[in-house]
Amino acid sequence: MKKCRILGLFGNFDDAFAAIGDFRNHKVDGITVDDVTFLSPIEHPDIDDVLGPRKSHIPKVTLCGAAFGITFGFLFLASAQSNFLIQPQGGKAIVPLPSNIVLTYEMMILFSVISTVIAFLITTRLFRKRKSLYSEKITLDQVAIEFEVDEKYIESIKGVFKEHHVVEVREEVQT
Amino acid sequence: MSLSNLINDWSKYRKGHEEGGYHEYEHMWGMSIDLNKCIGCNACSVACYAENNLAVVGKDKFEKGQGMHWLRVERYWDEPDLGEGRVNEFQQHGASFLPMMCQQCNAATCEPVCPVAATYHTPDGLNAQVYNRCIGSRYCSNNCPFRLRYFNFWSYYEDSWPAPLHMQLNPDLSVRDKGVMEKCTFCVQRIRTVKDTARMEDRSVRDGEVQTACAQTCPTGAIVFGDMLGMFNPESGVGETKVTKMWRKHQVELGKTKQNKRTPDMRGYRVFEFLNTDPCVMYLDRVREV
Amino acid sequence: MQNNEIYKDINEDLKWAQINKDILSSMENPRKGYWISVAACLALLSLAIIAEVYQYNVGMGAANLNWPHMWDLYIATFIFWIGMSHAGTLLSAILHIMNADWRKPIYRFAEAMTTFSLLTAGLFPMIHLGRLWNMYWVLPYLTDRGIWPNFRSPLVWDAFAISTYLSSSALFLFIGMIPDLAICRDNAKGWRKKLYTALSLGWRGDDRQWRNFRRTYLIMACFLIPLAVSVHSIVSSDFAMSIMPGWSVTSFPPYFVAGALYSGCAAIITLFILLRYYFRWEEYMTIAILEKTAKLTFAIAMVWTYLNLIEFCSVWYGHSFADKEVLLAKFTGPYAPWFWLMIFCGSVVPFALAFEKWRRHLPTMMVVSILLNLGMWLERWMIVAPTLSLSYHPIAHDVMWASWVQWFIVAGSFGWFGLLFLVFVKVFPSVSMYECKEMVLHRRELAHKEISPVMANNPGGGAPASGVANKSPGVEGS
Repeated sequence: MKKCRILGLFGNFDDAFAAIGDFRNHKVDGITVDDVTFLSPIEHPDIDDVLGPRKSHIPKVTLCGAAFGITFGFLFLASAQSNFLIQPQGGKAIVPLPSNIVLTYEMMILFSVISTVIAFLITTRLFRKRKSLYSEKITLDQVAIEFEVDEKYIESIKGVFKEHHVVEVREEVQT
Repeated sequence: MSLSNLINDWSKYRKGHEEGGYHEYEHMWGMSIDLNKCIGCNACSVACYAENNLAVVGKDKFEKGQGMHWLRVERYWDEPDLGEGRVNEFQQHGASFLPMMCQQCNAATCEPVCPVAATYHTPDGLNAQVYNRCIGSRYCSNNCPFRLRYFNFWSYYEDSWPAPLHMQLNPDLSVRDKGVMEKCTFCVQRIRTVKDTARMEDRSVRDGEVQTACAQTCPTGAIVFGDMLGMFNPESGVGETKVTKMWRKHQVELGKTKQNKRTPDMRGYRVFEFLNTDPCVMYLDRVREV
Repeated sequence: MQNNEIYKDINEDLKWAQINKDILSSMENPRKGYWISVAACLALLSLAIIAEVYQYNVGMGAANLNWPHMWDLYIATFIFWIGMSHAGTLLSAILHIMNADWRKPIYRFAEAMTTFSLLTAGLFPMIHLGRLWNMYWVLPYLTDRGIWPNFRSPLVWDAFAISTYLSSSALFLFIGMIPDLAICRDNAKGWRKKLYTALSLGWRGDDRQWRNFRRTYLIMACFLIPLAVSVHSIVSSDFAMSIMPGWSVTSFPPYFVAGALYSGCAAIITLFILLRYYFRWEEYMTIAILEKTAKLTFAIAMVWTYLNLIEFCSVWYGHSFADKEVLLAKFTGPYAPWFWLMIFCGSVVPFALAFEKWRRHLPTMMVVSILLNLGMWLERWMIVAPTLSLSYHPIAHDVMWASWVQWFIVAGSFGWFGLLFLVFVKVFPSVSMYECKEMVLHRRELAHKEISPVMANNPGGGAPASGVANKSPGVEGS
């Protein structure tokens, strides 16, 4: 049961979407639309309709980062102020809320942004070693459909590709 | 960084000036300056230069406005008719003098704006300037409505005291380098010496024991300096001092922006009181015989 | 009657391959004009370095600062540069959320402008300090003495806000550039290929990456907008939280933010015209987009003018003698010529943006945008100097003019910014290629055209691997 990767390059979105439509309609038994990975130079606005809803977990991480930023920011500032008791008065309290609110707000935004970026890098799997199946045309003007499935499906997938005017097919067998 | 510190004393740390603040004051040094007695001789200013290692910057730099006079005697001509149109030096003919030094405000506007906490309020009621913490952002000077903070624009020590003049420097305090803000400290080195002596002798500081250089030098006795803590904290152990009597006599109170006076004899006022900085220096208005 | 065909935001028949080619050509070996610009920026920067070294050694007196003029051009220029950074955020973040896709060809260099103006602005709090070697004391770090910076001070808020804004903007710029860096990686050789491979972090363009990318970009845009507003409000707090007449003005935060957007938009117009001319990007930096930017600048100019007038009105309504004196001094005192020049540049010159004929005329727009920025720089100076020359106490009335040290450093900051920007345009794509492709897609949809003609079509021949003659549906010629 070897896993195989196959990449089919298409010249425009319509052909590719039609091919995905076929996969969605179970034209190849055992392959569903969830196995499809779609590569493109830009994100097509209708992609969610074609591929079905897929979730992104980034907003949750952002929320955690913001909450952390608020609590950590305020507690850090207030603790530092409580320990530095000769800190300037100006008639003001040792833990003044107006200043602390401003700084807490900045810390919240800082941590939200940083946590979003870290979540982005992790969920997009960017730092992993790039899979070898790739074509420079993807960043130019072609789109691609990629599968990582058992060997036995490869021929049927290729057949569907050819029906929809695939420009180029690349394969790779994982050893 | 102690979280428990914060949680235990939360309400204490949230008190501002209006609620008595956080400090337990040991003293409240204050001054009273009688403008009737001031003759504008500038002896106080010179004494301050001598006591506090102030640099004489030279005519050019002074004209550019880079002088270092912690105590400046301002001259005003407020009644030109008296001088019949002539600019006149004499008090009887309309000139008046206002010696101004750092007012040691209880709600100082200079304190909260220093980015590195180089200026703060001491338990003595003084506004302290920490020279080695100052990074020279000059926000405090911009925020002082009385314009009483001075900045070391150059390294004055390099040529202000050529030998053997350097022998006159006061060893009790530092000579400041460029980039540092400074201002009147109510001769804090003298206050410290007296307090240390009193502590060694196991007694409290007596009235008149601390004399600032300006108060000591003033020939007419216009400047009165002392501890005012007894005025608003009777349990403090600091009794009636000369300066407290002056303040009470002219019905000027700390912590107020507008004073209610019973009679017009009470000449006491504070400069820019409406700005609510709560200065510790009271001036007695001039009365001129017309 | 204008031929409306010419004034489209983008030509929707632009092929995607052409987009790649045009933008990538900007990163080829530079021509003579580029090296001349670099030399000019280096010359300005060296002036600043000479002046700063002199000032560092002898003290702030070299800048002609005195009592009571403790702040002058350094603070004014600092606020100017922070202000200029806001338009990048406006264009990338605010217009993104509003789905204004005309921003797509121009926001990349605007976002770069944001990052670089923040890097320039960040130098000034250091330069204006009397003891700048101790400047790290404003940062909150654990010391064995238990000393912290004074969190009440607006200058410490500045430190927090500007470092947050700089890091967030830089991250926003970088993240937004990842798909473009992938394009550069696929077309580069030598040291550039190594650089882009590292920076594009292995971007493949698969749907998972795009989906998360879209989410991340939107979230960062949503956070960057309140951050930008708060940063300039905090910078205005340097004045608003003080007690000085003319500074203690409640409307300073929105006034400063409006001024920031204003000067940033004017700078975008300047850089727009320069880039369009230098790289021959008429297809991308179209006149229609310039017009839209000009209209936006005009709207912001009117907001700024209103806030300016309101500040004057509130002084008139209040009975503060000091505030009134400062205002009258601005109108008639020693700073009056500069003040009226500021009013002219800030409130009169933008009316040139209201006329279509002038909006479409590039040399006029170049001059207008530079004048607008001059007006904004003068505005910052007119906030700092007149108040310090008057204030509450009559003895502190003094007028002071900056010395050569201050002017050299101010000029050098423009050289530093220019240098950073010039390096950027040659190493990174200053037009967002993938967003231009998105724009073409969207415009074609609006014009009811198919997307396929601008993508790879291989009509007829091309011997594809499948061996089947390719004919994409819906193609009417190429």
